[in-house]
Amino acid sequence: MRKVAITRFAQSAGVESGDNLMDFTYRISKEVLDKAGLKRNEVGCVMIASSDIFHSGLSCANAVDWDGSGAFMIEGTRAEDSMFALIYAAMRILSGHFDTVLVTSIIKGSENPDNDTLTGFFADPFYMRPLGINETTAAAFQMREYMQRFGVSEEQCAKVAVKNLGNALFNPYAHMKKRVTVDDVLNSETVSDPLKALECAPKSEGVASVLLASGDAAERFTDKPVWIKGFGTSMDHFNLGDRDLLNGQLTVAAERAYRMAGIRQPRKEIDLAEICEPYAFQELLWCEKLGFCPDGEGGKLIDSGETQMYRAFPVNPSGGVLAMNPYVSRGLYRVIEAAMQIRGRAGEHQVDKKVRTALAHGTHGFAGQCHSVVILEG
Amino acid sequence: MGRAVAVIGTGQTRHGRRNDVSYPDLVREAVRMALEDAGITPKDIEGVVSGTMPSMMEGISDTHLYFAEALCEVGKPVLKVESCGSTGQSIAHCGFYWVASGMADLVLVVGMEKMFEGDGQATMSTVADPWFLKPFSAGAPGVFTMQAMEWMHRFNIPEDKAHEAAAFISVTHHDSALDNPYAHIKIKIGMDEAKNAPIITYPVRLLDVCPTSDGACAVILASEEMAKKIGRKPAWIRGLGFRGEEFFYGESNKSIWPSATEAAKHAYEQAGIRDPLKELDVAEIYNPFTYQEMIFYECFGFCPRGKAPDYVLEGKFNRTGELPCDPSGGVLCTNPIGASGLIRLAEATLQVTGKAGARQIEGAELALSHAMGGIDQFNGVTIVGAKL
Repeated sequence: MRKVAITRFAQSAGVESGDNLMDFTYRISKEVLDKAGLKRNEVGCVMIASSDIFHSGLSCANAVDWDGSGAFMIEGTRAEDSMFALIYAAMRILSGHFDTVLVTSIIKGSENPDNDTLTGFFADPFYMRPLGINETTAAAFQMREYMQRFGVSEEQCAKVAVKNLGNALFNPYAHMKKRVTVDDVLNSETVSDPLKALECAPKSEGVASVLLASGDAAERFTDKPVWIKGFGTSMDHFNLGDRDLLNGQLTVAAERAYRMAGIRQPRKEIDLAEICEPYAFQELLWCEKLGFCPDGEGGKLIDSGETQMYRAFPVNPSGGVLAMNPYVSRGLYRVIEAAMQIRGRAGEHQVDKKVRTALAHGTHGFAGQCHSVVILEG
Repeated sequence: MGRAVAVIGTGQTRHGRRNDVSYPDLVREAVRMALEDAGITPKDIEGVVSGTMPSMMEGISDTHLYFAEALCEVGKPVLKVESCGSTGQSIAHCGFYWVASGMADLVLVVGMEKMFEGDGQATMSTVADPWFLKPFSAGAPGVFTMQAMEWMHRFNIPEDKAHEAAAFISVTHHDSALDNPYAHIKIKIGMDEAKNAPIITYPVRLLDVCPTSDGACAVILASEEMAKKIGRKPAWIRGLGFRGEEFFYGESNKSIWPSATEAAKHAYEQAGIRDPLKELDVAEIYNPFTYQEMIFYECFGFCPRGKAPDYVLEGKFNRTGELPCDPSGGVLCTNPIGASGLIRLAEATLQVTGKAGARQIEGAELALSHAMGGIDQFNGVTIVGAKL
């Protein structure tokens, strides 16, 4: 089988950009091509990720994204999620038809309505939408169930926000950065009981871009390729009532990625994880489902301090999605952060230990209906 | 170059105004038929790709979440790919690369649209940017009419001749749709009726324009090994290509349409096709407008630039002509947009596997399928053959 490498990447910082959508897209895509020393028309294929959820008031987002991402008259298409785009791009290289694919994910959050106005449109028009179900209210159900079934406390959930918002202080690309205490989190406004404001991700804007290359082509663009060793996605039932919200499809998506990467003991073999946690408690739940600790012990994991930036098993040293949430792009941000850590060039938020293998995770839909997992190796 | 990929099953809904079913039910109808056609069960599927038009069409976004059960994708790897009107081809290409990469042996590809639940023209107007294009946008006909005028002007095509040829295409496609059990608009019309139909946007008339439809289409793609194991007659994917142009309509020359020309060229190179008019046996072209279909004939190399109306009037693209185009009646008679591009692939598959029933072109072995999207911005082509 062919090998697929992440060769070069670029990401925008979480601050509101003064560029228009097309310039914003162009600036980041061009940065990647410049770093790789590649001309636009030498790229084999361009894979765009963006959202059709009334994205900047434009339907068919790929239409306006096309020029800025450099896709004019070369192969390309658009996926609905940046992890989908990355995985599809990797498969295009594995197929042998392409040697390079530029993956660009585009969200200009400042031009969209707030997250839950948009995630509310995931709901079917008949049963769920009249109830006001959106990503936040669905997550609140999930958090309540998580605390009740396993005795995980609100304090333990709040610790995730303390850790991640604190980590973000060292990440120049993060949007929300703050030194907060558990009390600050618990005393912040209740958004959807039991979720507090500081436990919910902000709405951010972010364009992220990655140049993938086949094993043979990679050395032309970088001396430090990061290899995509495994990936997996999985989909759960749609109706919340049809699902066990604490036993979703993340385990299945992870198993697929682990099998491909040859990982048997994730906690031992993976050095660092960048997890998509738009709600603080989800980092704990997802850690369980990824096999980093036994079911119900996510609370103990955060209490142990092991997941802090400079400890044995860093989780979200970038600050995660709680610190930076450009909806569609957030998965690709995790991938880029994991790749930076593997290269040892993450700057102030570089972890202390040697990172050989890292995991990046993405999710969208209510309470993690759809999950994607990618395993990277130096 | 990668593994060979075959289409081993197709399914289409009865297209039209489908008030009898919900949107997920509509999707399931196509999925069930494709599974039956391939002789497999949902359990056998290793991956699911889906796509539609943008969420404003039906007011639901990221429909792969809503259709989890309808698409048989619970517990399975999924991808969601979209590119406006060319979505049908884009999702087929995704399925192709998925199987070609070796990551799966059986992939289900589904496109869908339930247009009677929304306002198609309003949705398509929001593809235009709010500052420069939108003040001019008049839904799809406004754009495609502009292109027709540019094309006639560029190649000095007399308007009468183009008008005659457009009517001829309309009459023959509406005739063909009568033989297609899935088609939406089934009417018998004459030349006078087509030529004198009410004007929508000059010179395009009512019978030159596609309808809006509810419908879904599903296709099952398999690796060579799996296709042989299952043993149904496969259609082999022989070539594929996709190209996109600038976002702003005025920046490219739509009378020679580079994206359509280059997408086909890319697919021809892989399939080893040098003279498409002679080598192809049938073409399923995405033809929401009769005038546009003529431009595609030229871009795809079926005739010289500016000569499409002559070829049409000579009957070269009839069902009995040298290269029958859209024997299904095409998009002109059936247009659930997110499905339309995939329906072209399904119809091409039926033709090269000899399963097209009353609309079968005898002895068809090599077929082109195509879709177009955006404001004339995107084109995708897939070529299937009876032989690998």
